[in-house]
Amino acid sequence: MDNESPAKAILVVTVTALLCSILVSSAAVFLQPLQKAYADIERIRYLVQLSGLVDSDADLSEFAIVSAYQDVTPRLIDLETGSFDQNLDPQSFEDPDTADELQQLVSIPAELDSARLELRPRWISVYQVETDSALPRLIFPIYGQGMWSTIYGYLALEGDLNTIADVVFYEHEETAGIGDQIQRPAWLVGWRGKKLYDEQGQLQFDIGSIDVDSPEYDYRVDGIAGATVTVDGVADLVRYWFGPHGYAPFISRFDAGQER
Amino acid sequence: MKTRLRRALVTPLVDENPVTLHILGICSAVAITNSLYSALVMSAALTAVLCFSSVVISVIRRHLPHSVRIIVQVTVIASAVIVVDEMLQAFAPTTSQILSVFVGLIITNCIVLGRAEAFAAHNPPGVSLLDALGNGLGFSLILCTVATIRELFGSGGLLGREIFTSAAAGGWFEPVGLFLLPPSAFFIIGGIVWLIRSYKPQQREQAEFEIIATDSVRNR
Repeated sequence: MDNESPAKAILVVTVTALLCSILVSSAAVFLQPLQKAYADIERIRYLVQLSGLVDSDADLSEFAIVSAYQDVTPRLIDLETGSFDQNLDPQSFEDPDTADELQQLVSIPAELDSARLELRPRWISVYQVETDSALPRLIFPIYGQGMWSTIYGYLALEGDLNTIADVVFYEHEETAGIGDQIQRPAWLVGWRGKKLYDEQGQLQFDIGSIDVDSPEYDYRVDGIAGATVTVDGVADLVRYWFGPHGYAPFISRFDAGQER
Repeated sequence: MKTRLRRALVTPLVDENPVTLHILGICSAVAITNSLYSALVMSAALTAVLCFSSVVISVIRRHLPHSVRIIVQVTVIASAVIVVDEMLQAFAPTTSQILSVFVGLIITNCIVLGRAEAFAAHNPPGVSLLDALGNGLGFSLILCTVATIRELFGSGGLLGREIFTSAAAGGWFEPVGLFLLPPSAFFIIGGIVWLIRSYKPQQREQAEFEIIATDSVRNR
């Protein structure tokens, strides 16, 4: 066949594209279990770092991560009732296969959906840190839309369920070098000690620069120059998850003095 | 024949180095050379992609219609890059996070497409592989040299091990922050280019335009 004929061009391009797609997809399929296993360890690493059980800046071995994780207990919250669900086993929600059968998805009213999720699960695992303290830290999963992608993270609250102990974002596809600064430790440190709710229990948390003397200073985290859309997404997702459709009913029960 | 193979492998190291003579692949050379470890991984990734794509393109070179050759070449290169990226994510996930987009950007590294178009598309697979390997090593050589200088003077260590004790830890060495910033890679690469061209004047480029002093300038 003539090398310069259109038929040959189409043939060569089609065959190359087909072979390359087989190569790429088989690499993706065969390597996925390894990548997934690593992602699981990373997730646990973040939970352990947020637990306050270890020095959060230390470079931990896998063994240290897994052993510290023994003191972090997943507990299931029923977001419809705003309380711990005593009947269901949290472990069954950690396994994707059984979780799919048990889980119910609830649609989010548009006016409350600042995280742009449309649906959220009814049951969600929070992680309780087992220490001698009567009011242990609780780690809440949070996620929502950033600029390009869904941002996943964990936010740890001190025992008063108002003061932010620590925060991480462990998965996102934000712009490299700009939006991905939400993972920068120097920025995340600025969250520590900030509060979510004011004295009246109103959600005040927001992100953006503010004067130190301002009464809102305790509820404000610094923004990131150049990454406004990503950071606004982060603020919105935190406000959704700690708002009336998220964890707020659960948290207000404990403010009313209910037992854990 | 043997000298031709040898030539394909050895000349890209210094005489026809892709970075210092052709000034290709500067983007990644600037971006990831602040530590020797990431430079080594990047070098390995680029050399692997370059070898794979050169051999494949060389094998199909007689069936490549002129009109669509670049598209086919880029498809092969992009596939190789994605496979390398997936493998890094599976076997060296922390490194993959450090290199972030720069592994994906190997697709646009001019060295890879340059060798495919200039060499592999006209030569048999064996010599194309050696040419790819030579160019990969030439790139690696510059990358690792730059990274060694930057990490040593920027943070006082190599591969994360301390070599100069920093002043903060009671030693004498004051880390030079500039070396960790991308512009320092430009200075260092520029310095290497200057050194090589002083030693091998035949590498100097002819000026495209000659600056002629005109009468009006002379009379001023």
